[in-house]
Amino acid sequence: MTEVLAARSFRGPAAEDAIEAVHNGLDSLWLDVPFVTDMDQMTFTTAVIESASNIVQHAQPAGEREVELGVETTVQPALLQARVSAYYAKPPFGPMEPATPGDDAESGRGLALIEALVTTVTFERQGATNTWVLSRTSSQD
Amino acid sequence: MEFSYEVKDSYAEVKADGRLNMVSAPKLREFVTDVIAGGSNRIVVNLENTAFMDSSGLGALIGCLKAARQAGGDLRIAAVQPQVNMVLKLTSMDKVLTAYATAEEAFSND
Repeated sequence: MTEVLAARSFRGPAAEDAIEAVHNGLDSLWLDVPFVTDMDQMTFTTAVIESASNIVQHAQPAGEREVELGVETTVQPALLQARVSAYYAKPPFGPMEPATPGDDAESGRGLALIEALVTTVTFERQGATNTWVLSRTSSQD
Repeated sequence: MEFSYEVKDSYAEVKADGRLNMVSAPKLREFVTDVIAGGSNRIVVNLENTAFMDSSGLGALIGCLKAARQAGGDLRIAAVQPQVNMVLKLTSMDKVLTAYATAEEAFSND
């Protein structure tokens, strides 16, 4: 079984406050695993915050319950992984392919940025839960 | 995130200290818009203490750049930290938002 060296979990309403809470959780996670390089910490944090922000900004409720954001982050010896979920949400609307916005566009760069920051991104939908799984192979020796 | 500004001889320096994310991005846009409305159209955003920026923050900087240009001026960024530099490069926006080592250098050749 793969050894999990450190982990953090967040779940709460998909609102602005959640973004700061997730970011603070990641900052504290890195303190537990100082062998993870600054570059890995920086890139992975950025990808997770992009994904969580995407849910807070765009996820639509599937029914009467408000959408909740869930972020589960684990550090394994050579792998950083985050499951970023929208609970009680409709399936994502619109293309899930990264856009290539013009130089003066003020939005639309998030998905391309996430793909550039992690090794793989996969999407799962189960019931009324959308989950993006972000994995980054750690660059440690 | 904390915002402040100081009007210098030839530009206004805006400081944005903290995380420039989806929460603070609209506030930066509003702050810079107010500085421009106050009569400064040459803006330097000093990112010395901006430890983090996501695509929302980047979008806000581009919005501020457009606002400064529409007012006949320009917006430049200074003292970019590693994470912000990474986001600028990965999105190729380092070619649009010119970064200077210090706020003083940003308009020094104009």
